[in-house]
Parts: sequence; C-alpha cells; structure tokens
Amino acid sequence: MSNWSDLKNNYRLKNIYDTRINILRLIREFFWALDFVEADTPIAVKYPGQEPYLNPISITIHDARSTTHQMYLRTSPEYALKKLLAAGFDKIFEIGKCFRDFESFGGNHNTEFTMLEWYRAPGKYQDIMDDTENLFKYIGRHLEIKKLRNREMEIRVDCQWERLSMKEVWQKFINVNLDNYLEIEKLRNLAKEKGYKTDDSDAYEDIFFKIFLNEIEPYLGNATPVFVYDYPACMASLSRLCERDNRYAERFELYVGGLELANAFGELTDANEQKKRLEKDRELRAKLGKATWPVDEDFINALAGLPATALVQAGVALGVDRMVLLFTGAKDLNEVIFGAVADQIEK
Amino acid sequence: MSSTSDVRKGVIIRQSHDLYVVVEFQHVNPGKGAAFVRTRMKSLSSGKVVEVTYKTSETVDIVQVDFRTMQFLYKTGDKYAFMNMESYEQIEMDGDFIGDDAKYLKEGIQVVVGLYEDRPVSLQLPTKIKYKVVDAPPAVRGDSATGNVTKEIILDNGLKVQAPIFIKEGEEVLVNTETGEYSARA
Repeated sequence: MSNWSDLKNNYRLKNIYDTRINILRLIREFFWALDFVEADTPIAVKYPGQEPYLNPISITIHDARSTTHQMYLRTSPEYALKKLLAAGFDKIFEIGKCFRDFESFGGNHNTEFTMLEWYRAPGKYQDIMDDTENLFKYIGRHLEIKKLRNREMEIRVDCQWERLSMKEVWQKFINVNLDNYLEIEKLRNLAKEKGYKTDDSDAYEDIFFKIFLNEIEPYLGNATPVFVYDYPACMASLSRLCERDNRYAERFELYVGGLELANAFGELTDANEQKKRLEKDRELRAKLGKATWPVDEDFINALAGLPATALVQAGVALGVDRMVLLFTGAKDLNEVIFGAVADQIEK
Repeated sequence: MSSTSDVRKGVIIRQSHDLYVVVEFQHVNPGKGAAFVRTRMKSLSSGKVVEVTYKTSETVDIVQVDFRTMQFLYKTGDKYAFMNMESYEQIEMDGDFIGDDAKYLKEGIQVVVGLYEDRPVSLQLPTKIKYKVVDAPPAVRGDSATGNVTKEIILDNGLKVQAPIFIKEGEEVLVNTETGEYSARA
C-alpha cells in the first residue's frame, strides 16, 4: 500500500517511490541514447486488442451534441505503436498507463498499470532481448543496485542472462521433449498421466500452462534472469513463425525470480494472416461470452502498408511496476504504485 | 465442489488425500492467455507448504470452514487462549501454529479464526493494530541530516518497530501487520 501518509511516515516506501521515479527517467534516457523516439498514443481507443482472455474496461464518451460513443481503455499500446511503424518511424518506445479488468487488486497485479513497449523496424526478437538485458543493466548501474529481489530470492543484474528455448526449458525441468506434445491430444494425455484435471473445454494453451505453471515457471530465473523463447505456434497470435522450425513461433518472455516481466514477438507483418488470426480470437471471445468489437481495420491496413524495411520487426511489452518491484525488493505491487486500486477502494 | 473464484486466504482445500490451508493466492495470466490461480498452501497434517496452480473455473474441493471472531485473552507457556465472541467459549492454540503472527497479539484484540471440525486451522489478524508506545528514545539532533529518520520504539506488548523520530512515549500508533511496519499515529 502506498498513499501520501505511508510515503510520509514510512522511509522504506518513500525510498521505493523515489526509485520508481528514477527508473522512469532512466528508461527514457536509455532509449533516447539509442535514438529511439518516445511515442504518445491514446489510452481511450475504439478498437482494443482481441486477446481472448483480456478484459478491456468499457467507457462511454459524449460529443458536444451528447451523442454517445463506445470506447475502451487500452490493454496495451501495441496497435497504435505498430501503426506508427507503418508511418515510417523505425525505433519507438512508449511508457504509459494500460488497464486490464477482472484482475487482482495487488499481488502482481493492479487494474491500472504502467507498461513500457518498444519496437524496432527493422529488428529481430534477439535484438529486443539484447535491449531488455541492457536496459536492466543500465538501470542497475545508475541506481547502484546489484541485485533484483522477489520474495526471498536475489538475482544479480550484471551476470550473464540465460536464453533458453521453450523446448529446452521443458527438457531441463521436466525431462519432456516438447516436439512430441505439440498436438492437443498428446499434451492432454501427458497432463492426465501427471495427474492434472483436464477436459474437452481446455484449449492447447490451457493444458500447456497447467503443466508449465506448476512444474516449470516457479523455478525460472531463480539463478539468473532468463529469456524463454520460441513458443508452440498456436500460442502466439501476433508473431511470425520460426524459420528453422515452423511448429514454433517467435515469441519470448522474460522471467526473473519466478516473476514474468515481459512478452515479446518477432512481429507478424502479413496483413491477411493477421486479420485471420484476430478474427479467430474474436470468435473465441464471443464463445467465452465476452464483449466483442470489430477487428481494427486501420491496423490491418497499416500492416499492409508497411515500408519494405519494416517487414521484419520486433517489439516487446514490459511491466514497469514489476520491474520497480524487482529493483526495490517491494513485497507487493501495491507498494510500488502510488494510490493503487486497493488503496482507493479497500480502505 | 467449488470453483477457483472461491479460493481465499484461510480456506481449506482437500487435495490428494490431505487438507491444506491457503496461505497466499494470486492470479496469473501467462502471456495473454487464460487466467490461472496460484496458491501457496500449508498441509494441515505435515505443515509442509506446497504451491499449486489451478486454471480459473477449474473445480476445487473446498472444505467448509467456520470463521469466528475471537478475542485474544492471554498466553501461558506456549499456549495462546482466545474467546469466541458469540458463544464465549474458549479455545487454545499452539505457538507453533500461530507462528510469526504471535508477536502482534495483545490482550483484547480481535482476530478471525477459521475452525474445521472445531479445530482452529487459520488465524487472521486485523491489517492494522493500535498499540501504546512504552519506550521511545529521544530524537538526537542531526538524525534527519544523516538520513537516519527512524528509530526503534517498543510497544505495550513488547513488539519493537521502526518509527519516525517524532514519536514519543505514551502516544498511540498503528502498526501494519502485513509488513510489520509503523503505519501512522493512531
């Protein structure tokens, strides 16, 4: 929790907030030094993302004649930033507020949170891994913080960060060759053998995460930060397929001390394929009984109009609040956010 | 059978022939996928803590627990006595069971105790508890200049916390039981 009286009375919380403000400044300095442009895109959008399991907050706005318009608070600035790539920007970043409804007030979540996204066009997801690692090391050096802390774990920032493919991670932690479990029926059988409950309503991804979250994720990034890359193709709806093995797609996540911090893609730039996947996501939203809205045609058109140099592009979304938590060793995300939802609602 | 949306701190889950009390739970959304609930649970038979992650909407076997408001009375040896505020019945709990929370207890405070088959299985403290300051060393000039803006104070139940230097003996203060830190003047 962090409200004005906590900051006034509690030296530790005040320190956390000072560090947060410094981190925001350092992020900007880091990207400016690399000639990135800081973008500034809308929080209220007509067409939010189609991710089946995210819940944008619905809002109503009115024009001067009192006509109502349905809008949403963005869950990520992704579409807007990719439109800027189509406009010709080649290296952009944005730090901004995003919103996801139906998530916990506290723990590792807050309905309103601060997201950092950056894109390189041209760029590869390996470049984004380099950026991410360099950014953390840059912040650590400037704040003279050598260790990232989550719960009782301490992880050195300036060590050699690990990069493991999802396939390597399954092999390493549970001795399973993921190549043999890329079809839902096979994975379901594996889950059953391991004693998990699973039924026909579970998608591939659901079964995948039952195993992954119980047997792998808690141990990820406990010695060094680790990038886990190349996800089964069906689990990455905005990313391109790997050239060396098209059963996997170019996606990575960053884990530090069991905490998931960032999700990145080698971005899909085929407009038709993208439209198909988003329509599919939209259908799944409808099936799950969630609110739906049309696919953002302007986003699809932007992809179709990408300059040739931007066809191989990569980008990432990184949770700034979680990053501050790691640098400060805060106990809860509420401790790194001034006026977290819980502080406003549950008092 | 219940669903994961009923999982809370203090509920009891039956899982692989043992009963576990949930000590912590949190939602996780891997990537942008479906939501899961990660729980840390303590076995009631062995005291071992395990971590289990369920898919949201998965069925979970939650055992009915009675939550009762109780008042802390006194401690004798390693036993802590509480009184049920409705029935005025008394129960005892072991120091081992209460663990680190014991240091916050003081005569008269009210806690919520979870009972399963009349056996206490969980204890929840108020988020903030009021104490009287019984010892606070006077502030030393120059403290704030050196960045040393807190000092250790002792409260009426023996608890020691770091507090701002302006706090004096005899004042009442609130302590946050989740972090163990000074919160504000009461």
